[in-house]
Amino acid sequence: MTARVTVLYFAKSAELTGHRSEVVPLPAATSSGQLWALLLELHPSLAALQDQVVLAVRQQYVALGDQALLLADGDEVAVVPPLSGG
Amino acid sequence: MSSREEVGGAMEPSRDLIGLSPEPLSIERVYSSAVSPSCGAVALFIGTTREHFEGRRVIRLEYEAYEPMVQSELSAVCRDIRARWPMVKHICIQHRLGLVPVAEASVAIAISSPHRCEAQEAVGYCINALKASAPIWKKEVYESEESKWKENPECGWSGNS
Repeated sequence: MTARVTVLYFAKSAELTGHRSEVVPLPAATSSGQLWALLLELHPSLAALQDQVVLAVRQQYVALGDQALLLADGDEVAVVPPLSGG
Repeated sequence: MSSREEVGGAMEPSRDLIGLSPEPLSIERVYSSAVSPSCGAVALFIGTTREHFEGRRVIRLEYEAYEPMVQSELSAVCRDIRARWPMVKHICIQHRLGLVPVAEASVAIAISSPHRCEAQEAVGYCINALKASAPIWKKEVYESEESKWKENPECGWSGNS
């Protein structure tokens, strides 16, 4: 099963990929680590963020790892480099 | 011993006001959003943009945000504040986006409470929590036209550089 997910890129990740957002078919059942690996396949330049990135799935932060994720059509997944608000 | 006993006039509901805007921040408006007849204090924090970083001159800053998620994260921060300091009345958090010239305000936080202790502590907590959790990013652009995305030490996935 795949889900058509909107992937959002912010800050450095937007510069590295040249995208602000794109719709990507992703496995409906996956892990945060697997999701990152798939994004790296799409945009190898994202490797520059390795170890300094998390994802936001449906606006909840998720660290890269074994965390199980269930995705549905229309979900948003954001690539989140280190924060610098304030 | 409730704040009702201290108030003359109607009890206004407490409010959280969270805003993002490319417009210059109005400290007056932020203050007005927090002030309350039931409160004897408004504590204020204003974050401003600095001119130098590691010996290099900063000519401008650019801010971007994952706006819907900023709302949900800062709403959660407001809930935390109200759980820790139940006497807090109004919370106003305003963050500027887009181009911010040097020596201008990038963030303003105003919190009111009947007595000053809670408001002052809550404001300190609020800016720390914002820096740790709000999906907002700042890029410093230097005189050389080089630029660097900043990383808050408060953020759990910042690098060590």
